[in-house]
Amino acid sequence: MRIEKCWFCSSTIYPGHGIQFVRNDAKIFRFCRSKCHKNFKMKRNPRKVKWTKAYRRLHGKDMTQDSTFEFERKRNRPERYDRNLTENTLKAIKTIDKVRSRREAKHIETRKKGKKAQLMREAVKELEQSISLVKAPSVLKEDKSYTLPKIKVKVSQEEAKNQPMEE
Amino acid sequence: MVQYNFKNITVVPNGKDFIDIILSRTQRQTPTVVHKGYAISRLRQFYMRKVKYTQTNYYDKLSTIIDEFPRLDDIHPFYGDLLHVLYNKDHYKLALGQINTARNLISKIAKDYVRLLKYGDSLYRCKCLKVAALGRMCTVIKRVAPSLAYLEQIRQHMARLPSIDPNTRTILICGYPNVGKSSFINKITRADVDVQPYAFTTKSLFVGHTDYKYLRYQVIDTPGILDRPFEDRNIIEMCSITALAHLRAAVLFFLDISGSCGYTIAQQAALFHSIKSLFMNKPLTIVCNKTDLQPLEGISEEDKKLVMEMKAEAMKTVIGQGGEPTDDQGVLLTMSTLTEDGVIAVKNAACERLLDQRVEIKMKSKKINDCLNRFHVAIPKPRDQKERPPCIPQAVLEAKAKQAAEKEKRKTEKDLENENGGAGVYSASLKKNYILANDEWKEDVLPEILDGHNVYDFIDPDILQRLEELEQEEGLRQAEEVDDDFEMDGKELTPEEQQALAEIRKKKSLLIQQHRIKKSTAESRPIVPRKFDKDKQFTTRRMGRQLSALGLDPSKAIDRARSRSRGRKRERSPDNECGDAMDIDVDTPNKKLRMRSRSQSRSVSRPPGEVVPGEGFKDSAQKVKAQKLAKKSSKKRNKDARRGEADRVIPTLKPKHLFSGKRSTGKTDRR
Repeated sequence: MRIEKCWFCSSTIYPGHGIQFVRNDAKIFRFCRSKCHKNFKMKRNPRKVKWTKAYRRLHGKDMTQDSTFEFERKRNRPERYDRNLTENTLKAIKTIDKVRSRREAKHIETRKKGKKAQLMREAVKELEQSISLVKAPSVLKEDKSYTLPKIKVKVSQEEAKNQPMEE
Repeated sequence: MVQYNFKNITVVPNGKDFIDIILSRTQRQTPTVVHKGYAISRLRQFYMRKVKYTQTNYYDKLSTIIDEFPRLDDIHPFYGDLLHVLYNKDHYKLALGQINTARNLISKIAKDYVRLLKYGDSLYRCKCLKVAALGRMCTVIKRVAPSLAYLEQIRQHMARLPSIDPNTRTILICGYPNVGKSSFINKITRADVDVQPYAFTTKSLFVGHTDYKYLRYQVIDTPGILDRPFEDRNIIEMCSITALAHLRAAVLFFLDISGSCGYTIAQQAALFHSIKSLFMNKPLTIVCNKTDLQPLEGISEEDKKLVMEMKAEAMKTVIGQGGEPTDDQGVLLTMSTLTEDGVIAVKNAACERLLDQRVEIKMKSKKINDCLNRFHVAIPKPRDQKERPPCIPQAVLEAKAKQAAEKEKRKTEKDLENENGGAGVYSASLKKNYILANDEWKEDVLPEILDGHNVYDFIDPDILQRLEELEQEEGLRQAEEVDDDFEMDGKELTPEEQQALAEIRKKKSLLIQQHRIKKSTAESRPIVPRKFDKDKQFTTRRMGRQLSALGLDPSKAIDRARSRSRGRKRERSPDNECGDAMDIDVDTPNKKLRMRSRSQSRSVSRPPGEVVPGEGFKDSAQKVKAQKLAKKSSKKRNKDARRGEADRVIPTLKPKHLFSGKRSTGKTDRR
């Protein structure tokens, strides 16, 4: 029993799931679910379909190169069974998993950090340009800061009563 | 080959059937439609075609008959004689000759009539000629019908003749009737010949096949022969005589020792002597049958003498084969088909003798020399008298012995299985013979999948080392990360700035929303100038609010706007009424004036058709019409108790009174 990778979205295919397609040139395509299978039949390129791992790796959204990937390699030569080795391997899988997921999260975080500066710049520009929508230019001349002016309205008593309803 | 197989002769049709077949074929395969208006050449052609077609068919069919029936002179004399015996050669030849003449006659008739048709001048005349031609051809066949019937009978009988190959190894069985020939053939071959107590049970030749020394022998069973002069023999006996005469075979002459066939040994011996001329050049064996009833030793002296005479005759056929004085073996044999005692011995003896004879003949013929030249058996010449047996080393012999012993002692998996309950109960342990570093590990169960990974992909002898390296690397990385985290505190907006930004964005989104609404309803909204603003959007109060939100003082602007918006008339009229009053009372104006102004600031209900400037109607007539149209459209809906245009609810989808019952007239497409 092996866990395979879906050809389209690169998710894991557990035994008993999905469809395997063998082409005439003997290349095997495995799909985790009918969504991937149907996309394949439509001849879509996974590298262009946003939600697949292939796209994400290609466009730098997810981590591509790391030493943790070296641990999991399909070996064609079987090793003779050794209980200690197997025990160690099982424990190692867990730590390797942890390390790998931490690194992936870090990668995504670093990627997102750069946005802050840009947002800041945009906000500043917007404030500068559009402050006249909320603060009259004459008022701005007197008070250069961006604080909003306090609303002072000279109204009679009757109108003061109506005001809350209207506003 | 025609010799063996007469089964492939096509069926000879009956005279009447023959005519029917040919004529109907003519009818079907030639054009049938003709009118007297056609050109004369066309008419002639039409009828000539029919005549010729019929003639061709007759010719073909008769030719096949003539060709397929064998010519008695061309086939093997055995078959020739056999057919003569059965069917009478002359009669046979006559029948075929008649068919031949019929064929020629038909050809002549056709030729004549075709020549006449060439000069036919009308449809009717051509037709008559054609009818005459076909009629004559058919009469010819009718006359020949008895021959056809005879040939058909012959064909059927010929098809059932046994397929005897005259050239291969054959054993012929002959003797008086009821001596046990058919039982013998039943014993040694798979033939199933009738065996009955009466004479002439076997009425024709029967063939069986048997094997000896990897060779196939034909065994031919003949009907019994009686001792009569040659001319008096009947057809059945003649079959056996023919077989004897023409086939080069080993002959087994059967003798009934016990006499239970109804004939004495003397009579049988007499028969023997009368047909011994037929045994020339054939290995003859005398077989004494029915020894269970009477053993050979127990017969009388005269009978013994007769038997010995026969044996002597048989011996003559033996001589001439490289001088074998040891004769008894193959010449006189005893057996009993009932007890099957000696049957095989007889067969073997006969086959052996036949084989020897055939080999001898082949050796003497010229053909063998070609073969002999091709092979040469090399035998090394012995240089001294010392015996040299094959040499097998002792070790090999011991090993062989040991292996044999081991094979018996070793316990196989199959034995284990059987001990522990058989196939369904016991499942063999496949891990029994694993070679591992520690034998305790043999029965370990290893997980193949863990947390979405294949465990086999991770197994590596130096995984521990690599894991250590990884952890070190990870430690370093984490230290670096902590350092990085401190750096990234950049500028931030103050809370007031944030508020201002939020307000800006809110206002912007409101503007956009309003614009979108306006854009989408632009087509259906009336374009009305702002001064006729019906919904009273553009009020000074509003302006005041907006300006003060921006931080400006709106009072001056409001006053200015209000002073401008007042209509002159209204201002003038209180002036005219009390001009002085205005000067005196500035703060408390005239009550009437106040009342009026107040009442004007309230909304007054207008007459129904009056056009309010902001609505977009040209005049009151247009407005009235618009109102009427609106009422009209909603009337029907209100009657149906619908809430609006979009209300399409059907309270009951299939009311029973509409969906049940038949209609006397009319359609049911409205429910």
